[in-house]
Amino acid sequence: MIKIYGSFVSRATRNLWMLEELGLEYEHVSLDWAKQENRSAAYLKINPAGKVPTLEDGDATLSESLGINLYLVQKYGQGGLWPDDDAGRALCVQWSFWAAAELEPLAYGRIREFLFKKEPDRDQALIANMAERTGPLLDLMTLALDEHAYLSGETFTVADLNAACVMEYLDRSDFDLSGWPKVAAWYTNTYGRPANQKIQDQRAPIAADMMKRLQG
Amino acid sequence: MITLYGNDRSRATRNVWMLEELGVEYERDMVDHTKGEAKTESFLAINPGGKVPALRDGDVVMFESLAINLYLAMTYGKGGLWPDDAVGQAACVQWTVFSATEVEPHTVGALIELIFKPEAARDEAAAQACLARLPPVLNVLETTLSDLAFLGGDTFTAADLNVACVVNSLNMIGFDFTPYPKMTAWVKTCVARQG
Repeated sequence: MIKIYGSFVSRATRNLWMLEELGLEYEHVSLDWAKQENRSAAYLKINPAGKVPTLEDGDATLSESLGINLYLVQKYGQGGLWPDDDAGRALCVQWSFWAAAELEPLAYGRIREFLFKKEPDRDQALIANMAERTGPLLDLMTLALDEHAYLSGETFTVADLNAACVMEYLDRSDFDLSGWPKVAAWYTNTYGRPANQKIQDQRAPIAADMMKRLQG
Repeated sequence: MITLYGNDRSRATRNVWMLEELGVEYERDMVDHTKGEAKTESFLAINPGGKVPALRDGDVVMFESLAINLYLAMTYGKGGLWPDDAVGQAACVQWTVFSATEVEPHTVGALIELIFKPEAARDEAAAQACLARLPPVLNVLETTLSDLAFLGGDTFTAADLNVACVVNSLNMIGFDFTPYPKMTAWVKTCVARQG
């Protein structure tokens, strides 16, 4: 049985979404970060850095949320979320790394200000600078979405899932996407998929509790 | 025919390494980003983001250097740099993402401030802040390589190439590798393959 470690308020939700898309059976082990459950001896054995998420699938144990999704899709999503053709696969890998290396530093840098600081303490110059650098990335997505309905072609693939679960940080920090209508429509359509809705519904009460703790 | 865009002053070098490992034929288009050649209309048709490297392989056109290497390994390195088994493939994907997200932001950050920027614009404190983030990350490699010869097991794979090319860039700034003996030996072994 596949096991995924990490709570609903961690990057594990990215993998839970993928597991739901693929219709796989899995066991979700939610580790409470506040209780340091990710630092237990048992967990450090499977992830020495104590980070979440981690996936166990038979003999394979791996970390890095977007890497886990690429692994899962190649093993279980052939011809579906993992396209059959080389060009489609190349774009799936490309957009996953683009999300990890280009978008996430900006999107996560932004949401950190919103999550971990109260409004008067937020670094508005940093937020503005990150928003400015995010624009060209959204322009690039728009060009791809001018060519086809989804990032890697005419169907939803791991490219979309991995990009959307990073773009979530922009959405949760009220980033104004109105200047990029194609991206906004793609995000709504992608993020709102039933597989993700199922995960987000479970996340909502836990996230609300966390926000109460963080924002008071 | 495969075309790789970008010169040796770009991350294209890591793709050259992969192409040479795989022994596939390719040609290079030495787009010089330092002269604005990555922003020309003809190159923007290849990568609208205006960054090198980029790759064309038949109807495949893509960017992101580490993604290019994974694509090349998956397509041309089956059973070799892209292992046949799920465990080996998992290692390749995990370590490549680790390289891109955990290691490279700090190595590049330090390199920019110490050597890429004109001397007057360099920020030593910013460079040190980047370098200070590296020990826990490099310790993950040191721990892994205490048990294994290579990141995915007994043989050299895309995982090793994609991490080693990033870690090795620290040699450009005289980084002190002595706290990481296993990792240091592994980087040397990997890099020596480039000949």
